[in-house]
Amino acid sequence: MIQFDNVNKVYEGDVKAINNVDLTVPDGEMVILIGPSGCGKTTLLRMVNQLETISSGSILLNGEDVTTLDKIEMRRKIGYVIQSNGLFPNMTIEQNMMIVPQLLGWDRAKKRDRFNYLMDLIGLNPDEFKKRFPHELSGGQQQRIGVARALAADPPVMLMDEPFGALDPIIRARLQEEFLQIQREVKKTILFVSHDIDEAVKMGDKIVLLRDGEVMQYDTPAEILNHPKNEFVNEFVGSDRVLKSMSLYTVKDLYKAFTLKPNFESKDIRTINEDTSLRVAISMILNQEADQLVIEDNEGNNHGSLTMDLLEQFLHKEIKGQEG
Amino acid sequence: MDTFNKRTALVVKILLWTAIAAFFIWGFSQGMFRQIYEQPGLFLELLGEHVLIIFASGFAAVLIAVPLGIFVTRPAFRRTEWFIVTVANLGQTIPSLAVLALAMGVLGIGVEAAILALFVYSLLPILQNTIAGLDSVDENTKDAARGMGLTNLQILWKVELPNAVVSIIAGIRTALVINIGTAALAYLVGAGGLGVWIFTGIRLFDNSYLISGAVPVTLLAIAVDLLFRYLERVLTPKGLILAREANEA
Ligand SMILES: Nc1ncnc2c1ncn2[C@@H]1O[C@H](COP(=O)(O)OP(=O)(O)O)[C@@H](O)[C@H]1O
Ligand SMILES: [Mg+2]
Repeated sequence: MIQFDNVNKVYEGDVKAINNVDLTVPDGEMVILIGPSGCGKTTLLRMVNQLETISSGSILLNGEDVTTLDKIEMRRKIGYVIQSNGLFPNMTIEQNMMIVPQLLGWDRAKKRDRFNYLMDLIGLNPDEFKKRFPHELSGGQQQRIGVARALAADPPVMLMDEPFGALDPIIRARLQEEFLQIQREVKKTILFVSHDIDEAVKMGDKIVLLRDGEVMQYDTPAEILNHPKNEFVNEFVGSDRVLKSMSLYTVKDLYKAFTLKPNFESKDIRTINEDTSLRVAISMILNQEADQLVIEDNEGNNHGSLTMDLLEQFLHKEIKGQEG
Repeated sequence: MDTFNKRTALVVKILLWTAIAAFFIWGFSQGMFRQIYEQPGLFLELLGEHVLIIFASGFAAVLIAVPLGIFVTRPAFRRTEWFIVTVANLGQTIPSLAVLALAMGVLGIGVEAAILALFVYSLLPILQNTIAGLDSVDENTKDAARGMGLTNLQILWKVELPNAVVSIIAGIRTALVINIGTAALAYLVGAGGLGVWIFTGIRLFDNSYLISGAVPVTLLAIAVDLLFRYLERVLTPKGLILAREANEA
C-alpha cells in the first residue's frame, strides 16, 4: 500500500509541482496517474522511491514513512520502469534483468530460474535472448525486458513512468494487454503514469487525474468517465467519454442487466460473443453489419439479441442512472 | 561513386607505401640510418630514455586525470569542473618549450623535469576524454540504475566506467602520441632521448643523425597509436559496439 498524506513538492526557484496530494494506492491494485504534461505525474512518482525529496507531508509505504527507510534497500524492493527503458547497453539481457537479484546476492541457480520464469512471462525465449545485448532488440522487446527487470526480485510495489509511451500504437496495445495479463498473475501494487486516457481506462483499477499538482478526481475509470467531477475532468476525458465508458462493459454485463428472451427466429442473424466489449458491439451495429446481433456465451448458448435500442437502455440504466 | 572512392583510396594507399618504401631504400643506400647500427648501444639507451619519459609521464597523468575526471563529473562536485578543466587547459596552451623550461625551473636539469613537463601536457586530453566518456552515459540509464537501488559507486563501476572506457583509452592514446613527439625536446632539459640525435643532426648538418633519431620517433608514435587503437577495440564491451552501430545506422 502506498499512502500520500498531504504531500507537497516545491522545486528550486519556487516551482510548486505538487499541491496537497492525499491518496492511497491499495494493495494489489494498479492506479494510473494521468494529466496534462507538466502537471506533476513524474514528480509524484519519483517522490515514492526518493529520487525526489518530499517538501512537506509524508508518503507511507506499507505504513512506513519512506524518508525513514534506507534508500538503497527500499529501492531494491520497488520495481521501477521508465519510458526509455533505461537498459544498460554494456550488459547482456540476462545481466540487465538480474541486476537487482545480483545486488541482493541471489545464488546462480535461483537467478537462472527467475530469468527463465520472467522470460516466459513476457513471451521471449530465454536461451535465445540471454546473451544478447539491448541494442540487438526491437523497441517492444526492450520495453518488455525493462518491465521484467523491474519484476526481477519480485518487489511488492512497482512504479512505472509512461512505460509504453515511446512505442508505436500497435506494439503499445500489445504490451498493455500483456502487462494486464501479467498483473492478473502477480498482483503488484502499482503506480503507473500515463498521458493517454484510453490507456488509463484500459489498465487502471483507479485513475488519478492531476492538474497543476492537484488531484482533480480519484475514482474508478467508470466513475471518471461517467461522472466527471468538474469541467476540467470532463474536458480531459473528452466528449466521447460515453463511448469510452462502453469499453468498460462487455455484452455479458448487458444481458445480465436485462431479462432477455433467447432469439431463435432466424438462423442467419450474426452472433456476438459475451466477452466482446460494448464499444465494439456498437461499432458493429453502426457499421451496419447487422441491426441485431445474437448474444452467445462461451458455451454457445443463445442469450437473446442485442440491438441499438437495448444498448441505449443499458446506457441509461448503468451510466446515467447512477447520476444524482 | 562508392567504387570510385574505394579505387581512389587504393591508389593513394599504393602511392603512399611506395613513397615510404622508396624513402627507406634511399635512406639505407645513403647510410642515413648508420648511427643506429654503428652505435646500437647508444641507440638503445636513447630509445630507452625516450620510452621511459613518455610512459612515466603518461602513467602519472592517467593516475591523476582519470580520478579527477570522475571527481568533477559527480553531481556534488560538478561546480569544480570548469576550474579544473581551465587549469588543465593552461598546461596545454602554454607552448611545450615553455612548460619544459618551467619544469626545469622546478626540478632542475634531468629526466624528472622532462617527465613533469610531459605529465602536465598529458593531463588535459585524458581529463577531457574521461569527462566526455562519463557524460556520454544516458541520463535515463543512470536514473533507472538509481531507481533500482544501485549505490553511486555501483553506478560508476557497473554503468558509467564501462561506457567511458573507450573514450578514456582514446584520451591516453592522444596524450601519448603527442608526447612521443614532444619528448624529442627533452634533450633541451638534459633528459636525453632520441632528441639528442635529432638536435645533433641539426647542429652538425648531418642528416644521418637527424634521420636515425627522427624516424624511430615517428615509428614509435605509429606503433603506440596502433597498440592503443587495438586496446580500444578489445576493451570495448560488445554491447557498446552494437549500440554505436545502431546509432550510426
Ligand atoms: N528538477 C526540476 N527542477 C525544477 N522544476 C522541475 C524539475 N522537474 C520538474 N519540474 C517542474 O515541475 C512540474 C512537474 O513536472 P513533472 O513532474 O515532470 O510533470 P509530468 O511528469 O506530469 O509531465 C513542471 O512544471 C516541471 O517544469
Ligand atoms: Mg513525466
